[in-house]
Amino acid sequence: MNSIYVHIPFCEQKCCYCAFASFDNQFDQVQKYFQALQKEIESSTFEFRIGSIFIGGGTPSAVSPSIIEKILKTIREKFQVEKDAEITIEANPNSLDEKKLKEYFSMGINRLSVGVQSLENKQLKMLGRLHNKIQVFKALRVAKKVGFKNINCDLLLGLENQSVFQLKKAIKALKKYATHFSCYMLQVEDGTPVKSMVEGGRIKLPDDDKVVKIYHRLVVFLKRNGFEQYEISNFAKKGFECLHNLNYWGRGNYLGFGLGAHSFVGESRWANASNFFDYFAGKKAFSEKLNDKQVAEEIVMLGLRCCLGFRLSQLKKYGVILEKNPYFNEFLEKGVLKAENGVIKINPDYYGVSNLVIEELIDF
Amino acid sequence: MNRQERIRNFCIIAHIDHGKSTLADRLIEKTGTLAKRDMQNQLLDSMELEREKGITIKLTPTRMIYNFEGEEYELNLIDTPGHVDFTYEVSRSLAACEGAILIVDASQGVEAQTLANAYLAIDNNLEILPVLNKIDLPSARPDEVKKEIEDVVGIPAMHAPCISAKDGTNIDQVLQMIVKEFPCPKGDENGKLKCLIFDSYYDNFKGAICLIRVFDGQVKAGDKIKMMQTGKTYDVTEVGIFVPNPKITEVLRAGDVGYVACSIKTIQDVAVGDTITNALDPTNQALPGYKKVQPVVFCGIFPVDGAKYQELKDALEKLKLNDASLQFEPEVSQALGFGFRCGFLGLLHLEIISERIEREFNLDIITTAPGVTLKVKKTNGEVLNLSNPSQLPNPVEIEYIEEPVVKASIFAPPQYVGAIMELCQDKRGVYKGLVYLDRQRVRVDYTLPLSEIIYDFFDSLKSRTKGYASFDYEIAGYEKSDLVKVDILLNGEKCDALSIIVHKDKAYSRGRNLTEKLKKIIPRQLFEVPIQAAIGNKIIARETVSAMRKDVLAKCYGGDITRKRKLLEKQKEGKKRMRKIGSVEIPSEAFMSILKLDDEDK
Repeated sequence: MNSIYVHIPFCEQKCCYCAFASFDNQFDQVQKYFQALQKEIESSTFEFRIGSIFIGGGTPSAVSPSIIEKILKTIREKFQVEKDAEITIEANPNSLDEKKLKEYFSMGINRLSVGVQSLENKQLKMLGRLHNKIQVFKALRVAKKVGFKNINCDLLLGLENQSVFQLKKAIKALKKYATHFSCYMLQVEDGTPVKSMVEGGRIKLPDDDKVVKIYHRLVVFLKRNGFEQYEISNFAKKGFECLHNLNYWGRGNYLGFGLGAHSFVGESRWANASNFFDYFAGKKAFSEKLNDKQVAEEIVMLGLRCCLGFRLSQLKKYGVILEKNPYFNEFLEKGVLKAENGVIKINPDYYGVSNLVIEELIDF
Repeated sequence: MNRQERIRNFCIIAHIDHGKSTLADRLIEKTGTLAKRDMQNQLLDSMELEREKGITIKLTPTRMIYNFEGEEYELNLIDTPGHVDFTYEVSRSLAACEGAILIVDASQGVEAQTLANAYLAIDNNLEILPVLNKIDLPSARPDEVKKEIEDVVGIPAMHAPCISAKDGTNIDQVLQMIVKEFPCPKGDENGKLKCLIFDSYYDNFKGAICLIRVFDGQVKAGDKIKMMQTGKTYDVTEVGIFVPNPKITEVLRAGDVGYVACSIKTIQDVAVGDTITNALDPTNQALPGYKKVQPVVFCGIFPVDGAKYQELKDALEKLKLNDASLQFEPEVSQALGFGFRCGFLGLLHLEIISERIEREFNLDIITTAPGVTLKVKKTNGEVLNLSNPSQLPNPVEIEYIEEPVVKASIFAPPQYVGAIMELCQDKRGVYKGLVYLDRQRVRVDYTLPLSEIIYDFFDSLKSRTKGYASFDYEIAGYEKSDLVKVDILLNGEKCDALSIIVHKDKAYSRGRNLTEKLKKIIPRQLFEVPIQAAIGNKIIARETVSAMRKDVLAKCYGGDITRKRKLLEKQKEGKKRMRKIGSVEIPSEAFMSILKLDDEDK
């Protein structure tokens, strides 16, 4: 499959933990940015049939829907977008109203990814989110009413004073609307306000062991509620797995448009510059052609992150015979890995430590 | 006046920290051998490491010209290492001299090392010139210390120069006394060639360089020489002196100190203490005092990256060139792969070598816990000499084990005798006697197992005596001892590199300490890792490293796979510092951690 990612680097307010390319103080750049973005899409030299589009950010819902519509139109003119393509937009609960949602729906967006993060107002405030619990449910109700059938809710783990009970409660309440949950662990990145809050002792985050415990209990709870884990952090009702994400793990082609967006075509990866100045000048942050070893590493790394797994025969093409690695056999023996018809998958119980497993396997 | 009458060969001996290197610097400066701007502090300590540790390890001789009463004198300073580990090297340097300056700190007075070195100098028949240093300190008590030198060392000291090497006070007086007091060399310039090799170093272009003192005859480029111990012959390509950098000269004659280069490729062919003679006209009498140096402390050294075995070998070979006392032979460990079992003169020596391997050769190494050579009598009558714990036979096959013991002399003010005795008892010492040297100093004599003093004995001694005690020892043979081997099992697999040999009474506590320590060091892994200590088949302690459950559940945003792959590659790289034993990953510092066990006892 081929996918398109479009980056909208604007937010009403940047979250305290955010280290991505997004800005809450550069709205003067909006016009110039979207002109550049249009131009970037129009001048693309690839001719792909597109199976999924993901409009992410930043906060795409923070800009006018007409801009989004224009971008989608440009994409449709330039590429052949499949009729049943999955088209996702990321949104914050506070920037969603009925009018906006109706416009999204009518322009063909069929999947909504809502940055819920938490249903505890205190935690939301700490994170620097602008919404509260009531706004979450209001937005979800309207979205459903407007016709969205595929809704993801992002949840953050590892927040101050967060309990399994809180999270279970949240899932129970959200599952009326959600078909998909993304549960990420809060990462304290350098240069973010959260980092200085932690260092200054103003907030106290739970230690990793505790978060992992919560995570494991959540996995069980989500499953019981009909959400199967299909990737480390992603859970979906059957048939609602995010095609766009799976395309990343399955190493399909994707084109990224916009500030700091990543692309992968053939065995080449590149990314746009992540500051406006360089982006407007058409500069790339990097560009690399993967060698055989890197390809093999990726096949293992990406395949084991999710339910897709990887084929042993696929690795052989790149000169890697995994059966020679003693850890591979040990992992199979101990049930860390499963082999089915030549496809190697990770036992979902070990999603949480997949990095360790991958590290041993990619020693080639 | 003949040529040799204008030569003085001397060395400086001192207790550590009493200012030997500083005085050497001042002498070089005062004689104008080097301009002040070229002086680096403590010039003779040529290795970075030496300057950092403030101790002298390597010897660098220097020729200085000094004008005295209208005559030009050639003063050859041969520096000596100041640590108990290097006694043999010191003795060879002393043998190259006629005189020795004995520096004594004017406030601290005579210390153990002062005494040991002074006796060594006396044994070598050297004229000793006592010098009181650090006279600028308010705590200096020169008259008392002079008396102490006369009483304790037994040499006249009333006319000893009182100097401050730091400030440069009275340095001239020292220079004058060198000329007046020290005898000149009295070799036979026309006799058969006899040179003492008192040190060597490796030069990338000239090969192994021998630092020599010519006793009789002369040597010049083109001569054919013979090493009397190894029996090998060489053609001399170059001779020279140090000023303090090497400078080519035409000839070295009786009385001179300098170097010979003769493209010696195999470093083992230069043995410190060996005698060089002319191959075509050899002397039949080698210089006395040659000793094959016997290492007393052994440990395994392995490359962290197994592929770097050859590089490690080259590094050790290069180091051995400057260091006749370093010994090594290949060793294979089940846990650590190919490496070397190395012998050292002492723990400081071990530390210096391993640090130099890491710094100068840029190799990451794993050092296993140091041990001693044991004599093991097996029930079948066979006697084994073991320096590697992993080779110890099964307990049922052992009739008895003997371990090396040392005669230790500890010098300290009387109020610390209790603390010293307590420490020695704790280290399985046997009390031998107590001597009052004067009212402020006693000497406590003990017989101690060598294995007990190689770890941290000196540090403990210092901390228990507020730094007042000093300590000297000599190997005093072997004694029977109740020793057992404690093995460490990781995940049920024995890790030979972690085995230690300890006294039976200490086996349980050491085993427990070791497992606790390893639990802290070994990172959590995919599966839980039991850590056990065992004597034979009997488990005496157990800890468990619980399984790792965390990983990064971070968002992999917008298809940024590159970052993730690089992160993973970096993590993988980090793992290369770890060693894999069975399925358990162990950081390389774990192997040295056994050493530090005793700290935790306290």
